[in-house]
Amino acid sequence: AAPTPDRAGPPHRASRSPTTTPSSPSSPSSSSPHKSAAFLAFLGVSFSAPGPKRIAAALFDRPTDGMSREGQKLDQAGGGGGVGILVLSLDLLGQVLDRLSEPRDRKACRLVSRAFERAEAAHRRALRALRRERLPRLLRAYAALERLDLSACASLDDASLAAAVAGAGLGIRTVCLARASGVGWRGLEALVAACPRLEAVDLSHCVGAGDREVAALAAAAGLRELRLDKCLGVTDMGLAKVVVGCPRLEKLSVKWCREISDIGIDLLAKKCPYLRSLDISYLQVGNGSLKSISSLEKLEELAMVGCSCVDDEGLELLSKGTNSLQEIEQCFLSKLATLKETLTMLKLDGLEVSDSLLQAIGEGCVNLVEIGLSKCTGVTDEGISSLVAQCSHLRTIDLTCCNLITNSALDAIADNCKMVERLRLESCSLINEKGLKRIASCCPNLTEVDLTDCGVNDEALQHLAKCSELLILKLGLCSSISDKGLAFISSNCGKLVELDLYRCSSITDDGLAALASGCKRIKLLNLCYCNKITDSGLGHLASLVELTNLELRCLVRITGIGISSLAIGCKSLIELDLKRCYSVDDAGLWALARYALNLRQLTISYCQVTGLGLCHLLSSLKCLQDIKMVHLSWVSIEGFEMALRAACGRLKKLKMLSGLKTVLSPELLQLLQAYGCRIRWVNKPLVYKDG
Amino acid sequence: MDSNQNNSRGQSANLSSNPLYYQFGSDNPLLSMGMQQPFHPFTSPFGASSSTNIPQMDWNPGTMLDNLSFIEEKIRQVKDVIRTMVDNGGQLTYRPGELGQQQQAVNADLTCLIVQLISTAGSLLPSLKNSSFLSHPPAGHMEMANHVGSSSSMVPNTAAHSEDNNEDLCSPEDYEELFKGFTDGAVEDTEIENVLVEEQDTKDGDEGGDAGMDGDNLPPGSYELLQLERDEILAPHTHFCSICGKGFKRDANLRMHMRGHGDEYKSPAALAKPPRDASAEHAPVKRYSCPFIGCKRNKLHKNFQPLKTILCVKNHYKRSHCEKSHTCSRCHTKKFSVMADLKTHEKHCGRDKWLCSCGTSFSRKDKLFAHVALFQGHTPALPSDEPKDSSDQVGLPGSHQEPAKLASSVGSFMWGNSSGDDSALDVKGLDSCSDDFLSTANFGSFNFSFGQLDEFVYAVPSRSIEAGSGMPATASEHEASLTDWSIC
Repeated sequence: AAPTPDRAGPPHRASRSPTTTPSSPSSPSSSSPHKSAAFLAFLGVSFSAPGPKRIAAALFDRPTDGMSREGQKLDQAGGGGGVGILVLSLDLLGQVLDRLSEPRDRKACRLVSRAFERAEAAHRRALRALRRERLPRLLRAYAALERLDLSACASLDDASLAAAVAGAGLGIRTVCLARASGVGWRGLEALVAACPRLEAVDLSHCVGAGDREVAALAAAAGLRELRLDKCLGVTDMGLAKVVVGCPRLEKLSVKWCREISDIGIDLLAKKCPYLRSLDISYLQVGNGSLKSISSLEKLEELAMVGCSCVDDEGLELLSKGTNSLQEIEQCFLSKLATLKETLTMLKLDGLEVSDSLLQAIGEGCVNLVEIGLSKCTGVTDEGISSLVAQCSHLRTIDLTCCNLITNSALDAIADNCKMVERLRLESCSLINEKGLKRIASCCPNLTEVDLTDCGVNDEALQHLAKCSELLILKLGLCSSISDKGLAFISSNCGKLVELDLYRCSSITDDGLAALASGCKRIKLLNLCYCNKITDSGLGHLASLVELTNLELRCLVRITGIGISSLAIGCKSLIELDLKRCYSVDDAGLWALARYALNLRQLTISYCQVTGLGLCHLLSSLKCLQDIKMVHLSWVSIEGFEMALRAACGRLKKLKMLSGLKTVLSPELLQLLQAYGCRIRWVNKPLVYKDG
Repeated sequence: MDSNQNNSRGQSANLSSNPLYYQFGSDNPLLSMGMQQPFHPFTSPFGASSSTNIPQMDWNPGTMLDNLSFIEEKIRQVKDVIRTMVDNGGQLTYRPGELGQQQQAVNADLTCLIVQLISTAGSLLPSLKNSSFLSHPPAGHMEMANHVGSSSSMVPNTAAHSEDNNEDLCSPEDYEELFKGFTDGAVEDTEIENVLVEEQDTKDGDEGGDAGMDGDNLPPGSYELLQLERDEILAPHTHFCSICGKGFKRDANLRMHMRGHGDEYKSPAALAKPPRDASAEHAPVKRYSCPFIGCKRNKLHKNFQPLKTILCVKNHYKRSHCEKSHTCSRCHTKKFSVMADLKTHEKHCGRDKWLCSCGTSFSRKDKLFAHVALFQGHTPALPSDEPKDSSDQVGLPGSHQEPAKLASSVGSFMWGNSSGDDSALDVKGLDSCSDDFLSTANFGSFNFSFGQLDEFVYAVPSRSIEAGSGMPATASEHEASLTDWSIC
């Protein structure tokens, strides 16, 4: 869910949504007690028909200027005369809130109505905190909280976590601490002690976490799910602690925990009989582990990508033991026979695959829903044809870099797999608009199409535009795509969420204007190296209020003005890449500092900014965690020093020139590191590029 | 909205008119205070770290000169000793066994001098073997020398020689014989050091004298006794590259190194082990004495037990008579003077006990895990103290207690009063005061107040509260606006 902090304008502004209608058919303020049933009936109908967004609109739609006053009036009326929203019980209001999918709309509700605020306090289940200062109060306010996401909480550390969960958090079941590098075993101990019902913890990418942290988690006896991806310090000892402490574990991921060996996995298999899902990717475990794993009777999902010590023999052991395995991700070899009936997902990324093998898979695994053949060599049209002829349930087909396939493979897919939703064809340069035409007309459910580096043209986009369900479209490196093509897409694919136009250098501001008018839901947009785009293009983009990730690398014509309009318009912006936008100056940073308050990742390398702008930016953006600032030649050492001091508790990742390593004060660097910030020092010459 | 915009514009105007912000550095006292430190590293003196270790061979003329004057000094001392011997020459008689012993001592002393010389002039090492050098040795280095420390020991037959003339008392043949003895010793040394690992593992490299008692307990006099000097024992390298002067402990390593200097060193002949002289077979058995007077391994001791090899001498001397300078990086308590001992210890330190929660300990991890698997409720016990040294890595668990400490030392805005003490977190205290400590006045004060930036950098909480209250937006307003954007 996108966070919606908005402190720039008065709160009610945030509730403006593009779908508001000028008047509502049944105004709640006029309802009397016995009308509430009818009102609810209306709600019920509405839920099924125009979607939750509409409800928020219907409930609160007023001429926007008077909205907060109206809201207050409504609330007062409710409190005084027993009419209005207050006549509905908290339960019912909670039900209403439950059905609002957009956090933006929930926020609108709680901001205009105390009743909704109370309902939400009693009813809210999930919380994603962005600032640690508010955390204790929030946890006390939302007593019914079950899911707590702290992965984006700036400068969270042991003390603040402990203080936050100490008084509240009794009902919390799920906690996400991914990338919370400031949290150590003390914080986790406090968390486990305060949350007796804890069931799931995500510690992934806390690279500093080791055995002590995991041992602290082991005290949560009810734990069912645990993710430890890239907790580099975890060894067999830590794993043993967890498996002994949490025998009811059902899902476990120890991806990249390279210290874990066969001994640990063996103990895991003995102590956690309920395990359903296990990820041991990139561990240096051998066939012995697979033998242990094969004794897990409930295991359904096993990921073992990059386990180079596992071979055919191990897989044979595996296939003997378990009979409920449904999904395997692995550099697979040949022993598919015994798993074929239940297998629904198969990824063979990077292997040499022959036509006969694909045919065998097709005949054996008829229930296959997902096939991954990314970077497999030897995949041909015939192979694909024989595979899809049997597997008509396929929904996801990944043919990334299978560069031998042509339109005839697409025809085969179009004819056999009508249900296909995701189709990845990156680098399949032999396909063209003819193949896509067939696909687009036969597979109406397509939601994701990856055509990166396929060299498709505007005509192909015209065909693809028929797929109105499209959510993700990647067209990177297709330089022949022009504004015309974008116009086709924006005319019919209004649901588009992600669009990649990397190095589509023919695109101009007009294309962006069409896009901004047609595809209002876009969240992720990549316009790197489309260097015809100017400030006016960014002005069009400013109407994409839901935009969260935007990459504008090497757009040499954009300036601070464009960035300003963007920052004012796109309030949800989380990630922004301005690398090599040579004309962007302090004005852009000031605008970002003022308006882009959700910004979490920012790249301003090579921009023409000064120390002043940088200081202001880093001291203003409270959510910023990751900043790359290489070759900011206008920023003095003092500028860097001041800026980093201003943000030192919040930053988690930093990229700078290695020359600064010796001139920044050592105590500042120490402080940054102590807060869990990882600094990447780069050493490269200053070279100007423009495309 | 509009008012806000105006506000910000007003602020930016304010700021741009505020001269403070366009002069980073120079005359801002606060800044220059903070900045002074980082600039110091530029002026760090260069070359102060050059080695002052005398035996260490490098091409520093100063060191070379030091070494040479050291040798000169030593020769002068030895000369004096011999002169006294010459004076008392005919008057003393010796028992036959003692005579042999004195002869050994002289040999040892000579060897000592030569080694000293060679390690000084390391570049001459390869050319030492050619006879022209041996037949025309530099005159100044030819005096017979005796050990200064054991000045009471005298050698009659050398004394007889030296009666004639100090300058040519040593014929080339004598010298060559001596040299052969030395080089054999050196070769043996190399060989022994090559098998160092096995010796360490089986623990019998210790003291060497055990070997002396293990079967071949030679009667005194049946072997050649050598006594190396302290400097010689502690000299790190004995093989030097003739081109770049880099020192090595093993000739094999030197030969590997030489390959980098050109193809002529890559021939099989150059890489092969230099052939052992046939005469070495007939060389007398050698035993060694520790130069430390009073030590059981010193030849003057009543129950003297000789050391078998040079390696034994080295290890014995370092273990018994030197400071233990290598500290274990795991436990920080155990100290060693021999590097190999440290390595052996570190291999097991902290790991030799795989502990279970029930108190049982195991020597191997798999044994522990088998135990844990067998018994319900048993779990491996992590070492109670922080085992990891977090100084070299970023973000290890150990470093998590640091921020509070550091922050308070820097005077930054770290909140909470439980600054990094090792006891459990003072959660109660934090909670009760969190309303004050966590109010946005602390943190929000610079939201709209870039003008306070210089304050902020070095701000302590109380100051930032003041700064916050001076702002147009009051703390409660901040709170209101913060309530909702801190979550979603």
